[in-house]
Amino acid sequence: MRAILKTGAVACLMVLTACISIPSAPPGPFKVGGAQVTLGREWSDVSAIMPGKVKQVRVLSIDGPLLNRLYLSGGLAPGEPLIKAPAKDKPTPKVRTGMTSAERIEFVTDSIAAMDFQRVEAAKPRAARYGGQPAVRFDITAQTSEGLDLAGTAMAAEIAGKTYVILYLAPAEHYFAANLAEVEQVMASAQPGA
Amino acid sequence: MPRAHLRAAGAAILAVVVAASPATAAPRQAGLRPAPSSPEAGLWDLSDKAEQHVRHSAELNSDPALNAYVREVACKVAAEYCEGLRVYVLDRPFFNASMAPNGYTEVWSGLLLRCEDEAELAFVLGHETTHFAESHGIEAHEAMKARANAALVVSVGIAIAGAAAAAGAATPQSAQSIMNATGDLVDVVYLAQVAAFFRFSREQEAEADQLGLRRAVNAGYRATAAADSWRGLMTETAASDFEKIRKQDARLGIFDSHPLTATRVSALEAQAKTFKPGGEAGAARYRAAIRPFLGRWLKDDLRRRDFGETLQVIDRLARSGEDLGVLNFYRGESYRLRGKPGDVALARDAYAAATGQPDAPPAAWRELGEMRRRGGDAANARAALEAYLRVAPEADDAWMVRETLEALAKAG
Repeated sequence: MRAILKTGAVACLMVLTACISIPSAPPGPFKVGGAQVTLGREWSDVSAIMPGKVKQVRVLSIDGPLLNRLYLSGGLAPGEPLIKAPAKDKPTPKVRTGMTSAERIEFVTDSIAAMDFQRVEAAKPRAARYGGQPAVRFDITAQTSEGLDLAGTAMAAEIAGKTYVILYLAPAEHYFAANLAEVEQVMASAQPGA
Repeated sequence: MPRAHLRAAGAAILAVVVAASPATAAPRQAGLRPAPSSPEAGLWDLSDKAEQHVRHSAELNSDPALNAYVREVACKVAAEYCEGLRVYVLDRPFFNASMAPNGYTEVWSGLLLRCEDEAELAFVLGHETTHFAESHGIEAHEAMKARANAALVVSVGIAIAGAAAAAGAATPQSAQSIMNATGDLVDVVYLAQVAAFFRFSREQEAEADQLGLRRAVNAGYRATAAADSWRGLMTETAASDFEKIRKQDARLGIFDSHPLTATRVSALEAQAKTFKPGGEAGAARYRAAIRPFLGRWLKDDLRRRDFGETLQVIDRLARSGEDLGVLNFYRGESYRLRGKPGDVALARDAYAAATGQPDAPPAAWRELGEMRRRGGDAANARAALEAYLRVAPEADDAWMVRETLEALAKAG
């Protein structure tokens, strides 16, 4: 019992002493690594509280990450993930050299599955432009483990050997459509790093 | 607070919460329900909650034919309890099944993918039925109560701490996130309690093996299925890409604290010899039941990214010589995703083998073309990609394939 109480006390202290910073991401230019997008409204940068955060990826949200989340990657080099693996024997997808458009879609959907979402599927792949460079755009469906339907849209491109991803996920009911226009503008404004 | 820290704290709590050992209880009677005031009632409440959660889970496989089939097999080995069993198939890519004291039964797709025939499934369900019938979970209940009380103390502490941290958060979003995170930790404690029901002693596992095999044989299944099933799991574990997993012994389920060992396999082999030879395998019936899900489950399995294990699973499924289009396609996918030196050629050969089968997914031609392109075989790459467009003219990625064809044409 002493051991249990001791462990519980440590867990409580860890929560109480935590410092979480959720900075605002105001309208205007927003940089991720060398890449840049233009936000049309204020978002919150929730990267610090997201599991599996990596340096080259920022996660923005308006109403909280369960209701909408926008992943923006700086250029990911081969070997880098969109979401960090929780353990060595539980790897997450990593960018590979020479990926096809289909493999970039797979990289994004498998990364979403690694975020503990279920039934992750891509649909309607289409040609797009990321900062004027060829990219692939596609839609996503998924579910939370509790069965809530999610909708998403994403764009991925390989430019100068780096992979750029913009991924928007939100509950299919109301939240996805509510901010889709803003996300479309963000995607249209994306510029890769030099 | 980073969720990783919360998970670490949760893991530490979990380790303490599940540490006690069970006592002994009497064998279960068919249709037994505990009195509301009995100590067992709490166990049922917890199982009811888990069942309620699963009914809404995204992982629930609601295919009526598959669920009916699995329930039918469960009822063959647990005939006296059939009426009270509620079987749920969950699309989770891990080898696991469980039967809670209230009759709530989970069978995971990872188990179904790893059984070679109905006899193996029957043995595993017989094993779980033994845990249920011999009240192994209830035997652990007294120890569980002590753990639950301790867990309650910890849960309350976490919830209070979470609320306190959220109150001091900079924004409503951060407050929500903190509450979500602490909610997860409370869930970890709760899950530890659930897991504790399915953590049986070494003696209980041996008993479940022995009586589970007897149940399967009494239901008419081949006695050799038990050892085959465990041996298959051990072989798969040995094939893992990860040293940490290879060094561990195989386990029957994710909650199982007692590994499968050569001793357990030997005991089952010896026991099998005490039965009359023969018995039903039910291989054709079994494959027919899981065939519609092979592709989906293999895709789920690949998302674990342990390609050595997935390749082993595919090899086992392919031994019957059936479904070679699908199986070779996913063998190719395993090599393509693994991406080790030499894997392009291995993937190419697997995709090529798939395209020679009537059940090959159209994507096999596309990937064959891509692997040939990577291998510098432009002419045959074009042939495969053109075949893909013929096989799947309406595919929504046809434009990407046409782009590749154009690039190949330009290159020469």
